[in-house]
Amino acid sequence: MNISYIIQQILNALSLGSMLALLAVGYTMIYGVLGLINFAHGEVFMIGAFTAMFALKLGLPLWLVIIAAMLASVLAGILLERFAYRPVRGSGDITLFITSLAASIGIRSLFITFLGSKSHSFPVPEYLQGIRFMGDILITDLKLFIFGFTILLTVILTILLKKTNLGIAMRGVSYNKDTAEAMGINSNSVIVATFIIGSALAALAGVAWGLQYSNVRPNMGYLPGISGFIAAVLGGIGNITGAAISGFILGVGQVLFVGFLPSSFSGYRPLFVWILLFIILFIKPSGLFKANIKWE
Amino acid sequence: MQKNESKYLLSIENIEAGYGKVKVLHDISIKVKPGDIVTMVGANGVGKSTTLKSILNLVQLQKGSITFKNENISQLPPYEIVSRGIGYSPEGREVFGNLSVYENLRIGAYTIARNKFDERLETVYNLFPRLAERSKQESSSLSGGEQQMLAIGRALMQDPALLLLDEPSLGLAPIIAENIFEKLEEINASTGTTILLVEQNVNLALQLSNYAYVMEKGKIALEGNADKLMNDDYVKNTYLGIA
Repeated sequence: MNISYIIQQILNALSLGSMLALLAVGYTMIYGVLGLINFAHGEVFMIGAFTAMFALKLGLPLWLVIIAAMLASVLAGILLERFAYRPVRGSGDITLFITSLAASIGIRSLFITFLGSKSHSFPVPEYLQGIRFMGDILITDLKLFIFGFTILLTVILTILLKKTNLGIAMRGVSYNKDTAEAMGINSNSVIVATFIIGSALAALAGVAWGLQYSNVRPNMGYLPGISGFIAAVLGGIGNITGAAISGFILGVGQVLFVGFLPSSFSGYRPLFVWILLFIILFIKPSGLFKANIKWE
Repeated sequence: MQKNESKYLLSIENIEAGYGKVKVLHDISIKVKPGDIVTMVGANGVGKSTTLKSILNLVQLQKGSITFKNENISQLPPYEIVSRGIGYSPEGREVFGNLSVYENLRIGAYTIARNKFDERLETVYNLFPRLAERSKQESSSLSGGEQQMLAIGRALMQDPALLLLDEPSLGLAPIIAENIFEKLEEINASTGTTILLVEQNVNLALQLSNYAYVMEKGKIALEGNADKLMNDDYVKNTYLGIA
C-alpha cells in the first residue's frame, strides 16, 4: 500500500464528504433554531435528487436542474415546517422527534408507492465526465466541482451567520426564542428562513449524489441522512463550520475504513460512522467543536 | 371613565392575565405619561414582571386592554409591539450569551433602518463606555453589571419611546445598582425617553421616579407621586424599613 493509494482514496472520499457536510449543515441549523432533529432531512435530500433526475431527463441545462432541485426541496422543507412541525411546537422534544420520524417514513413511502422502490438511473452530463491525472492519481472533474462548490457554500454560509442581520437573528433565536421575539424578531420567519437554507443545501447534496453515483431511489436519503445527523452531532450541534468539517471527516473516514480492509468488508462502510460516533461521544460528549447553542 | 386619549403614552386598563389556569394579575390599571419615569414596586411574586410581559404580549391577556400611542396593541405579536417603539430589558437580563456585545446590540436594532444603526451604536457606547471596550467579547463572559448595561443598551438601540425595565438592580452590588440608576436618570433627562420600571429596591426606585404603583398579590395596592409615597407611613413601614 503506497502513499498515492492513500491520496487516491482520500480524493475519492472528498465528494462523499462534501455531501455529508452539506447535509450536516442543514441538520445543525435546523436543530439550532428549533431544537429539532429533523429526520425528514434525508427525504428532503432525496426529493432534490429525484427532481434533478427528472429535470435532466427533460434535457434541461445543469444550472436549471440545480435550481429546480433546490425549489422542490425548499418547498418540501417549508411544507414540513408549516404543517408537520409548527403545529406540535411547544408540546415537547419527544413529540417533535417522533413527528420528524413519521414525516421521514411517510415521504419515503409515498415515493415508493408512486415510483417503486427500485433505482432510477441518473443521467450525468458529458462535460462533467472529464478526468485528469496527477502522476498516477486520478481526479474526476465532477469530484473537484462538488468539493469546490461545498467549500464555497460553507464559507458563504459562515459569513451569512456571522455578519448579516438574518444570521445574527438565527443565532439569537437558537439561544432564546422568547427573548428574540421580545427584541423585535419574528421567530417564525427566522425558522422558515432556516428551513429554506437547510433544504436548499440538502437539494445540492442530492444533485451531487445523483451525479456521483448515477442513480437515485426513494430510500436513498436514509443512510446519508443519518451520517449527516451524526456529523452534525460530532461538529457540536449548532456549529456550522464544525458540522461541515465533521461531514468531511465522516466521508473520508468511511472510505478509508473500507479502503484498508479486505474487499469482502466493503459492505461495512456505514459501520465506520457508528464506531466513530461511539468513540467520540464516549471521549467528548459535547462534540468535537464548540456547540453554539444553549443546552436546556 | 372619561380620559383624554392623547395624554398618556401607555395605558393599561383593567387587565387580567396569568399562566395557564393560574391568574397572576387581577384588574391592573397603569398609566404612563410621555417623559415620565413610572415605577411598579412590590415584593417578589406579586405580578410586576407579569405586568411588563403582558405589555409585550409575552403573557396572554384574559381581560382588559393595553394602548400605546393611541393604538390598541393587546392583540399584536411581541415583535410587532416592539417595533412600535417599546424597548425591553428583561428580568435576569437575558443577553444572548452566544453572541458578542456588538451582536447583541445589532439584535436590539433589528426593527430600525440600517442607516440609523451607527448613530444609535455611538449613543449607546457613549452612555456605557464599558460596552464599547468589550464589543467583541462574548456576552456570557461579562459581569452581572456589564450584562445589565448590555440589556439596557440593547433595549435603547431602537431609540424607543418607552423603555421597559425589569429589575435592573437584581443581583448587583449596591454601588453598581446606583450607577445603573444614574444612567437611567441620564437617559430620561437627555432624550426624554419614557421609562416604566419594575423594581424590588423600593428606595432606589422611588428616588428616580415621578409616579409609582405599589403592587400586592396581583393588585394595585397604592399609587401616587413618588415623593408622596416615599413619605407614606404604610410604604415606609412595609417597604423602606423605616419606622
